[in-house]
Amino acid sequence: MEEIQKEEGLTMHLLEVENLTKRFGGLVAVDNVSFHVDEGEVVGLIGPNGAGKTTLFNLISGFIKPDSGTVKFKGKNIIGLPPHKIVNIGIARTFQVVRPFRHLPVIANVIVSLKSPRGNRKIEWLKTPERKALDMLEDVGLTELMLEPAENVGHGDLKRLEMARALATEPDVLLLDEPFGGLNPLETDFLMKSIQRVHLDEPTRGIVIVEHKLYALMRIVKKVIVFHFGAKIAEGTPEEIAKNKKVIEVYMGKE
Amino acid sequence: MVATYLRRAYTSFLAHVVDIPPRLLALLLFLILLVFPVTNPKFSFMLLLSLANLSAIFSASWDLQVGRTGLMSLGHALFFGIGGYGAAMLIVFWGFPAWAAIASSALIGALVALAIGYPCLRVKGPYLSLVTMALPLIATGVVFYFKDVTGGERGLFGFPRLFPFLPYAQQFLAEYYFTLLLLFACGIALYKTANSGTGIVFISILDDEVASKACGINTTRYKLTSFSISAFFATLAGAVWVHLLSAANISLLTLTTSFLPIIATIWGGIGTIYGPIAAAYILQIVDRYVLNEVFPIETHWHMIIFLVVVIIVIIFWGRGLARFVTDKLDDLTEERNLDERGPHIWKKYKKKKA
Repeated sequence: MEEIQKEEGLTMHLLEVENLTKRFGGLVAVDNVSFHVDEGEVVGLIGPNGAGKTTLFNLISGFIKPDSGTVKFKGKNIIGLPPHKIVNIGIARTFQVVRPFRHLPVIANVIVSLKSPRGNRKIEWLKTPERKALDMLEDVGLTELMLEPAENVGHGDLKRLEMARALATEPDVLLLDEPFGGLNPLETDFLMKSIQRVHLDEPTRGIVIVEHKLYALMRIVKKVIVFHFGAKIAEGTPEEIAKNKKVIEVYMGKE
Repeated sequence: MVATYLRRAYTSFLAHVVDIPPRLLALLLFLILLVFPVTNPKFSFMLLLSLANLSAIFSASWDLQVGRTGLMSLGHALFFGIGGYGAAMLIVFWGFPAWAAIASSALIGALVALAIGYPCLRVKGPYLSLVTMALPLIATGVVFYFKDVTGGERGLFGFPRLFPFLPYAQQFLAEYYFTLLLLFACGIALYKTANSGTGIVFISILDDEVASKACGINTTRYKLTSFSISAFFATLAGAVWVHLLSAANISLLTLTTSFLPIIATIWGGIGTIYGPIAAAYILQIVDRYVLNEVFPIETHWHMIIFLVVVIIVIIFWGRGLARFVTDKLDDLTEERNLDERGPHIWKKYKKKKA
């Protein structure tokens, strides 16, 4: 049934990655990967270091161009678009290594996002950019630090700032690259709750999370995709993945 | 009606200028410059101050581009030269009136910046510096090649002054006030731009261009904007400059001219906009008055002295003159605020610390 619908173009996934391949010299960083994200779906991408998860994010968000394959957003191919245009059609991302604007105060970091065409369009009626930025900071719990220059802000808060900055454009697909990296359990818990709240606030938004901390990830996501050496080796619900033999082999080694 | 408006303007003036000590200081300095001619100085000194006004605009424009956007250009003299030669050629060959020539050459400068910026801003960091450094050299070659139009080594001269209808004695005074008001207007325009929403985006490009793109910012467009705003003000300064000296020659395009805003910006504090204005003033007065008349030193030594001071400033005082002054003023106001709040414990603590 699904195949028939697909041929007629009836089902449309929010984000659809098809046969994506990227080579760096001899290394195949992303090897013929296909998956899709539906509206309101929270997808986790896991895999050992160097499995090509961040490369995949860079391909989707337009920072690098793939050798072959397509990325479709709402049925349109977005390969070849520059990164800022991809953000403006509704795919926002965060970075694994925090990239704050160090000279700017925390609130101005969010205002930069609101200066983009999409961010500007998404400001509610009768709201100033400052007010909207403040609301975004409230969502991730950074209101107390709003006037602090970003260079004085700690790593855990910068991770949350990254998310506030991505959320300010109100993306349809949110790509989070290791949001819990380098956070202590308390901060992880807090950020996890913010992600869940973000998900509840906008039920049609698709969220893709790359993460190593499986205990945090498995509680948020409904679908998990496992990568190994650039290739997709498993896909399913968290329970299925936890029992999958291939995945256990990749993580624990063969018996 | 009028009274309400005036009262509102007055309260806004109090809140935005008088209550902020660095701005109050800037206003006082401006007022001092405004009443300075009552001391009846020599014509040559008035001309010097007029040139200082223009070089302050030139330096502040470089600071918007480099200190705020991170487009490290070492060839800002290109736009100074375009302003100078553009205004001169418009007057000599097309018979433009002086005002129209200045305005249109400033617009030409901004358009040239757009045309040059599109290919040049694709390269980043040190490569951008090298590319922009080559541009005035190319312009110099062009000037020497088209000798009939540009006057070659002799340059263009013999065009009327800005205020030809005034008697000779008052012309320098009028030019001084014109350039001072121009500096005031351009300084405020540049400072406002740097601190507006667009200015925030400029700083985001300076800090992290990749993250700026990930925020949905079309960085190319903003870099071009910064480049051409900066070029507009530099060209404007260059166009008025040739009117003050009544000559447009190749010295407008030299490396020395390119280094003038760099030295001023590093002395004054990069990225502050007001710092380079103050430093350019001091630089011009030291260069053309102190080292020329008070302690005469041969001209070749001036640049050496300035650059040695730049090296010392970079190593020991990287934040610059303006930030030093504003920090001191902030310390003063902090004490004042503590006094107002009235916790005497703080006062004791401060004294102990000292």
